[in-house]
Amino acid sequence: MVKSKDLVIFSLLFVLGISFAYIYNEIKTTKEDIFTRIEIDQIEHISRILKNIESDFISSLGIKNEYDLLESFNNEENRKKYEHIASLLMTPNIKYAYILQKDDTDRFRFLLDASKTDKAGFYQKFDVTSPEYMQAYTTAKPQIIKQKNIENLYITLLHPIISNGEVIALFSVDITTEIQDLIHNSVEPLENFFIILIVIVMLFMLLIILQLFHYFITRKRVFTDPLTNTFNRNYLEELLHVINLKNYGIAMLDLDKFKSINDVYGHQTGDYILIQASKIFKASIRAGDILVRYGGEEFLLFIHNRNGSALDVCERIRESIFLGEYFYDGNEIKTSVSIGLHKHPSLEKNLHEAIKIADKMLYLAKKNGRNRVEIYDEKALSEENSSSKDISFVKEALDEERVVCCYQPIYDYKSGEIYKYESLVRIIASDGRVVLPFEFLPQIKGTNMHYKLTQRILHIVFEKVIESKKSISININFSDLTNPDIQETIVSTLSNNGELASKITFEILESDEIDDVELFKEKTSMLHSLGAKVSIDDFGSGYSNFKTIIDIEANYLKIDGSLIQNIDINIKDYKVAKSIIHFASQSNMKTVAEFVHSKEVFDKLVELNVDYMQGFYISQPKATLIEEEELFL
Amino acid sequence: MKIVAGILTLLFTLFGHEHTDDIKADILEKVFTNISINKEIIIWSDNENLILEFKAKANFATASECSDASLLILESKQNIDKECQEKAIFVMNYALLKDIPQSFGAIFWKKGRPNIVIIAPRAKANSIKISEKLDDYLEEKIW
Repeated sequence: MVKSKDLVIFSLLFVLGISFAYIYNEIKTTKEDIFTRIEIDQIEHISRILKNIESDFISSLGIKNEYDLLESFNNEENRKKYEHIASLLMTPNIKYAYILQKDDTDRFRFLLDASKTDKAGFYQKFDVTSPEYMQAYTTAKPQIIKQKNIENLYITLLHPIISNGEVIALFSVDITTEIQDLIHNSVEPLENFFIILIVIVMLFMLLIILQLFHYFITRKRVFTDPLTNTFNRNYLEELLHVINLKNYGIAMLDLDKFKSINDVYGHQTGDYILIQASKIFKASIRAGDILVRYGGEEFLLFIHNRNGSALDVCERIRESIFLGEYFYDGNEIKTSVSIGLHKHPSLEKNLHEAIKIADKMLYLAKKNGRNRVEIYDEKALSEENSSSKDISFVKEALDEERVVCCYQPIYDYKSGEIYKYESLVRIIASDGRVVLPFEFLPQIKGTNMHYKLTQRILHIVFEKVIESKKSISININFSDLTNPDIQETIVSTLSNNGELASKITFEILESDEIDDVELFKEKTSMLHSLGAKVSIDDFGSGYSNFKTIIDIEANYLKIDGSLIQNIDINIKDYKVAKSIIHFASQSNMKTVAEFVHSKEVFDKLVELNVDYMQGFYISQPKATLIEEEELFL
Repeated sequence: MKIVAGILTLLFTLFGHEHTDDIKADILEKVFTNISINKEIIIWSDNENLILEFKAKANFATASECSDASLLILESKQNIDKECQEKAIFVMNYALLKDIPQSFGAIFWKKGRPNIVIIAPRAKANSIKISEKLDDYLEEKIW
């Protein structure tokens, strides 16, 4: 959902920023390392010279203790001589060089000053603030003081002058920052370059963060219902492409008699109830569940499987809404919620289909008295029905040749003859029981096994027609017709056998699977061209498109059994059947009525002038092709 | 001890800064609070900024004319009128201690470090009493 391009750029910038920061840090570390090396080198170098000077005046002047030294340098001639020698140390890197001695009161005094500038007088007091001066005396070891912004001094080297094992004075040399400045000035542009790069990268990162922030704010606004602060239908459309329905149950929630609340108390009260209800919904669900305002007072809830039973969530919501107390403008308003739950929406073709089923369940909940939860659990239903009748069940039956066909006669009552037969698939289970198609077909729907089963039926029926010379109908799905193997079987068998083709009728189930009408027309046209006939099965139950039916020039319309079975008592069914028969007659199509289970139904159909009939009243499906004498028994 | 620590702190501070007048005024104030000159200390300086700093601190009275002051702070020998030459003088340069015999003390920078010197005999001659808290800075003569 997040703009992945932005995230990739952000990650790249982050890595780039870290790399630049690392390089910058390495440059700084290297610079410090160079400083340290120079410092060590300088100190070592100066210390050796100081040691030489020290050895010279101690031996030349015969110094044994601090008083000797004081006395010697009190002599101006000696002082000038060694100031001159020490002044040879002075370079652009060495600013001051002088000898300090600690007096009886622990104050430091100049004995000698070789500096060119800011020269101190002999025995002038020098206020020191660093403890290293005393440490140089007590430890008799050189001390280094790192200076900070004293003029341009970098470090001060304190070199103890030792005679007879005792420190008698300190050589103090102030080293300037000259070389360090030079290095620093050389490296500074590189450091600044990386600082600028880091700042630019950070600015870009900030820009992307702001962009993402803006993106999320806008998204939130677009996908949120402002009244209930739940997701809206825009979000649902977005969800279609990303949600994995296997992880969710879906529930359709609808506030009961909400229209009455609006009508009686006004829209403001209605809005208040919606807000309160959505608060209860949100309080009753958990992280991972998704609540969408589907429209008006209708909400759609995706309940994540990891959050426990979807039914428990629905019951919790229903109870909380029912027990809630709602007061607005001094009125107490009672409300409840009806919920339709689909526990396994992933079994449906798509989310819309699953929502449709949840909506049907909601309708059922309303119809059954409201304030209740109705569940649709196709999986449990399917498991219950099929038990072990899954793909492997069909595969085994095909392998062991336990797939058979039964034939139900289609009766022409006007001539009293059997017009043709409808082939109906059966599987003989390993225990000998006859298994009807509704027990195994749903499990193999859309699988390769379904196509293999259709192939087998085609072979059985073709053989039967050749053997009996009788006409037989074969049930076939649109998806079967589009399968290349099945198409090959049909074409190769029928194209060379016109007689066989003329006795075959393909009964194509009218359903929403026919989503490509042009392809449907192409396939039926192909069947016609082979000399076979086409019948539209279960007509009136699906999504009938009369124009398409006329365009494909079907030979027969088989009226859906649900419209036939109660035709003697249900006037609406009677009217629909009558309309279909009229439509077929006008479109040059013959009509077949199935589910003819009684004489009353039979008579009604005669009255409607249907062309052909089939059903238990006439004959049950049989393993053989029965003759006219065996009808109506 | 607190005074010495305070002055040392100031000296440390001075290590890290330019010799700005406010810091000079801070050091001078610490010194002057530990001396007495038998009359109220009224400060005059040839550095106008220093006078302003003392005015701002308001711990010592200041004078716009050296004649009205009891304690002078000098940065240059030429800046003192004849009529003021006998007053107690604190200088801002070690060399001035030699040039101005009436001066009894100095703050100055040596090798980049701030230093304080108070010449005890001169202070005594001017009836200036020095607190023992400033003992670390007392000298018997100018070296």
